[in-house]
Parts: sequence; structure tokens; C-alpha cells
Amino acid sequence: MASHGVSRVAGSQTRSDLAREKELQQIARYNELVELVNRKVAERQYTVEVLSLTTKLLTENPEYYTIWNHRRRVLQHLFLSQTEPASLSSDKHQETLDFITADLSLTTSLLRQYPKCYWLWNHRYWVLQVGEARLQAVAARKLWQGELQLVTMMLGADSRNFHAWSYRRFVVGELERIPAQPNEVVPSKQSMVEAEFAYTTKMIKANLSNFSAWHNRSKLIPKLLDERESDDVARRRMLDDEFALIHEAFLDPFDQSIWYYHQFLMSTLSSRNSRESAIILDLTDTDRKRYCEQEINFIKDILEDEEDCKWIYEVLIQYSTSFPSLNGNESIITADDLREWLSKLRGLDPLRHGRWADLEYTLGL
Amino acid sequence: MSLVSGPGRGGGSDSALPQELQLFVDKHVRYIQSLDKRKDELEYWLTEHLRLNGLYWGLTALHLLGHPDALPRNEVVDFVLSCLHDSGGFGAAPGHDAHMLYTVSAVQILATLDAFGDLEARVEGGRRKIAQFIADLQNPDTGTFAGDEWAEYDTRFLYGALNALSLLGHMDLVDVDKAVEHVQACANFDGGYGTGPGAESHAGQIFTCIGALSIAGRLDLVDRDKLGGWLSERQLKNGGLNGRPEKKEDVCYSWWVASSLAMIDRLHWIDQGKLTAFILSTQDPELGGLADRPGDMVDVFHTHFGIAGLSLLKFPGLAEIDPI
Repeated sequence: MASHGVSRVAGSQTRSDLAREKELQQIARYNELVELVNRKVAERQYTVEVLSLTTKLLTENPEYYTIWNHRRRVLQHLFLSQTEPASLSSDKHQETLDFITADLSLTTSLLRQYPKCYWLWNHRYWVLQVGEARLQAVAARKLWQGELQLVTMMLGADSRNFHAWSYRRFVVGELERIPAQPNEVVPSKQSMVEAEFAYTTKMIKANLSNFSAWHNRSKLIPKLLDERESDDVARRRMLDDEFALIHEAFLDPFDQSIWYYHQFLMSTLSSRNSRESAIILDLTDTDRKRYCEQEINFIKDILEDEEDCKWIYEVLIQYSTSFPSLNGNESIITADDLREWLSKLRGLDPLRHGRWADLEYTLGL
Repeated sequence: MSLVSGPGRGGGSDSALPQELQLFVDKHVRYIQSLDKRKDELEYWLTEHLRLNGLYWGLTALHLLGHPDALPRNEVVDFVLSCLHDSGGFGAAPGHDAHMLYTVSAVQILATLDAFGDLEARVEGGRRKIAQFIADLQNPDTGTFAGDEWAEYDTRFLYGALNALSLLGHMDLVDVDKAVEHVQACANFDGGYGTGPGAESHAGQIFTCIGALSIAGRLDLVDRDKLGGWLSERQLKNGGLNGRPEKKEDVCYSWWVASSLAMIDRLHWIDQGKLTAFILSTQDPELGGLADRPGDMVDVFHTHFGIAGLSLLKFPGLAEIDPI
């Protein structure tokens, strides 16, 4: 794939004759293997032997998507040659499980080296879905639980890996869908929202700049409140707690993640906010005004120590102008305030001067 | 005719001195031409799965650089058509399976070279066939698109599908309203879009979603100020752009972010002079090509997206590019 972060100096040395000779041998060996796998698959030799040839090739080149397709063709054949899942004998069941486990360990070791390779994540998901159709429910559930551990490990290595976060949401969805106890007449709901919410807290406490975790939290909170069947008091407490959490995080006000999450919390106060991203359900204009004033005052206080932080001026203008209930005789914001903040913003953030010019025009200042 | 997509350096040296704010057009042309002559490097073979994309990136860069004939047209068309399957889909190279990613690149190359006539001459009903391959990948329930028969879903494929179908003149084969609904389902509170519903906003995915909405004529659904604000914050002090909050800059976002801003008429919300200087600083002044960041190894992917970014910024001497 495209190269990232590889220094040009390292790649600029001319190869010695010996190195060149060695590379030509590697090329010949690699192309022989490619040719062999392609030929056998074209001949429909969907065997365990061909499966292990694809393992060898994919280990050398995990981006070779056609070989992953070949591998799935072989696996499909091997699975389909078995009897129906319900009547699986324990030997057959074990054999299926062995195939799946082998593919999971192959992709685990490759993901450690290539954590952003789309084909690896995709293959893993496919293997588990096919496996689930052919395994007993308990075994299938255990596999999905293992996936949660894998993805936690991957996010431990790179907490912003968006492939891993997406995969985590998939896995959680599957675990919520599969009944915990097989043969349940009415499957009990296995919500993982609470656990996932706690996971985002843990990730945020480890690193406040992890916007991926803040983002996931923004998606989980409305679901969490619905599942808890929270009343109005509990919903208000949730919003207050989230504001308190983000206020702690303001110790480093130059971090974008924190301001985006604060903007999320504020967006839930808007009258245009949708039900599915709601925190408080019975918001009145008085509530809106109270929260808005509380936050604006809090942010103004930070300003005293951090007058070079452009985010402060940016959100002060945004919040002051997006909540009409703040206007009127009792407004805590004046046009002079807005003018002063905008002039600070332009001074501190010249990169986006075009944006601030448009804002000035829009606000009619 | 094909080009290697992996990292490396251009062949052939030139004694011209590097200067700030200078685009080394001739060197980039020679670098791209050299990519077909690297068969003695293992990387050439390991990146075969990107061959058709690489050709699209290289060819588009050459067109923008004002050297559309630097690659032999007929050989390019021959290579592209050698990747076509009976299904109407294209693989990355001969012998590779058909997939949306390569089908889109193939259609884009054929459109660039005005070669749909060549296609029809060799494959009767070729345009329709390709369009049908793409249309069949739409999920009728959600409106999104799969990459291939193995059903990986991502807004990248949705954008690719609409882009190629509009070039082929066959938008009628898909449910555009349903596709638009899916894009809406990927929208986040910050104005951005992710790989799918629930996923974090990412500049690359924003490009695909805004591009898809542009093609569908539904940019009215976008909160331009909110999205424009988020996109403008991708610019860092060094002038480069990142793809998400608190990440490093990378030349490829010069395209994803800047073209998205252009589509919503907010390109003036970033410092275009500083971005131009950043892109130019990633050139290999000796052997040609652009890298992700200054001093790194170049490749055709970053070369294309860097030059496309410069074109969008109206860099003198470059052909003008359409942000969609």
C-alpha cells in the first residue's frame, strides 16, 4: 500500500549486486507460490493442502485480496462437505471449530503487524459469521467473546484505530443478538451498553485526547438512558455528570477532543436535537438557558488562565449565538463581548481567517 | 501498461536545484513513467493488488501536470480491459478478482481517456454490463454498497458506485434515494460522517459521503457551517491537514479535506497558501514524486493526491480538477 512515515534516506541506498540477486530470487519464489495457488484454485482443488498454501502466501502479502477470496472458497467447500449443523457429530463439530480457530489465529498474528488492513478485519468477520451458522450456540458465543478480547488488545496498541472501533461495534452487536443460554424460548436481551459505556470511561481516563472513545460515548449515552428506563431526574444527573467529567478535562484546553465532546453535550440541548441522541427528554427553555449560562460562565472562568486558547472564544461565540433563549433583556452576552471574542479569535487563529470573516458577516457585527 | 504502487524513489537524476514553492513537474512525470519499469523489485509484485488504482492515480496526476500523453494511451486501455471479468467487474490486475474499488478506477481511466468507444468496440454492451455489476452490489434494505460478493460494506463503495455510474450514464439502475438515506444514517453530531452508521467522523469518509450527496444532487442535507468548521480544524500549524482530531498531518488529506470543503463552498476557510507550501515540501526534489510528509518515501498514491490538492488550490500551470 502507500507508504507512511518511511524516511526517504533509508530507501535511497543503491542495492549491491548481492542484494539485487537475493531480491530477484525472492521475486521468483513469491511468483511461483502465487502461480501455484491460482492454478490449484482454478482447478477447484479446494483441499486442506491448498488452504495451507494460501496461509503461506497471505503471511507474505496480507493485502492480496484475491487470495483471501480463494481461501474463503476453499473454506466454504470444506464446511459445506459437512452434514447439517444441528446433527453435527462431536468430531465434525470439533473439525469445524478447528478450521475457524486456525483462521482466527492467522488473522490475529497478521493484525498485529498490519492493524489497518481492511481485508484482515473483513475476513475475520466472515469466518465468524459462517462459523456461527455451523457451530453450536455455546461455542459460537464463546468465539464472539474472544473477539471482544482481541479488539481490546488492538485498541490497547492503538486507541484511535477506527477499524478496531468499528469491529468492536460489530462484535457487541453480535453478542447482544446471540442468546446467552441456548434453547431459550424467548431469548433474554443481552445488552452490553453498560459495559461499553464503562469501557469508554476507562479509555478516556487513560488518554483524554482519545476522541474515538468520546465519540462512542456520545452514541452510547442515549441508549444507556433508554435501557435503564431513566426518569427525568436520572437523565438530568447524567448530563450534569458528563459536564463535570468534561470540566475536569478542561485542564488541557488546547485538546480538540474535549471541545468536540462539549459541543456534543451542548447539541443535546438544542430544540432541533433528535430523539435518538437525546439525554434529557423534557427540556424547557428555562433548562436550556440555565445550562447555557452555566457552561458559558464556566468557560469564561477558564479564560482567565488560558487567554491564548482560541477554542474558548470559538465556543463562547457559538453557544451565545445558537441559543435564542439567551437573548433578550436578561442576556449575559453583549454585542461587545462577541466583537471582542471574534477579534481575539482572528488574532489567535489566522489559518482560518476566511471562516472568521464569514462569521463576522453572518453575525452582523 | 501498468504502474507499481508501492513506496520507492524515482529513477534517473536531474541536476536542477530544489527551490521552495516550485513544483518539479518534469521530475514527477518521469517518476510516474518509471513506475512501470520496476519489475526487479519485490515491492512491484507485492503491490499487484493496487495496479489499476495505481494507474488511475498516475494517469490523473499526469493529466493535471499537463502531460496527458506521457503514458501510451492504447497500452493503458489494453491493460485496463485485460482486468475486466465476464461479470462486468474489474480486478486489480489480470487474474485478480473483480471488486468495486478497481471497477471504479477502471471506469475513471476509461472516462479520462475518452475510451468508452474502445470498450464497446471490444465488449458489446460493455458500459451497461459494468453498470449492472455495480448496481447489483447495492443492498436493497439499507441502500449502501458492498465491495464485492463477500459483502464488506463501507461508504467508500457507495461513493465509488455513484461516481462510476454517473460516468457511465446509468444512475437509473440504482435506488439513489435509498443510498442518500444511508449516507444520512452515517452522519454525526460534529457534522461529519464515518464508514457506516455509528462510526466516528473521518475526513476520507466525509469526502465519500459529500461526494455521493453531490452526485445525487442532495447537498441540501448538509449543515455546511458545522461540517466546514470541523474540516477547517483539520489544518495544523505547519499548513498540512489531518484526517481526525488530534492526528498527524498527511498529504492525502490535502485532497479528502480540501475537496470536501470545495464541494460545500468553504475552501476559503483554510489557509490555502500554507497548504500549498506544505504539499510542495513533501516532494522528492531529486527523483520526483510526493510523500505523506516532508522527507518520507514517495509513492504514486500521495503523488496523485498531493498534485490533485494543488490543482484544487489553483496552483499555476496545473489543469483544474473537479472536487467530486
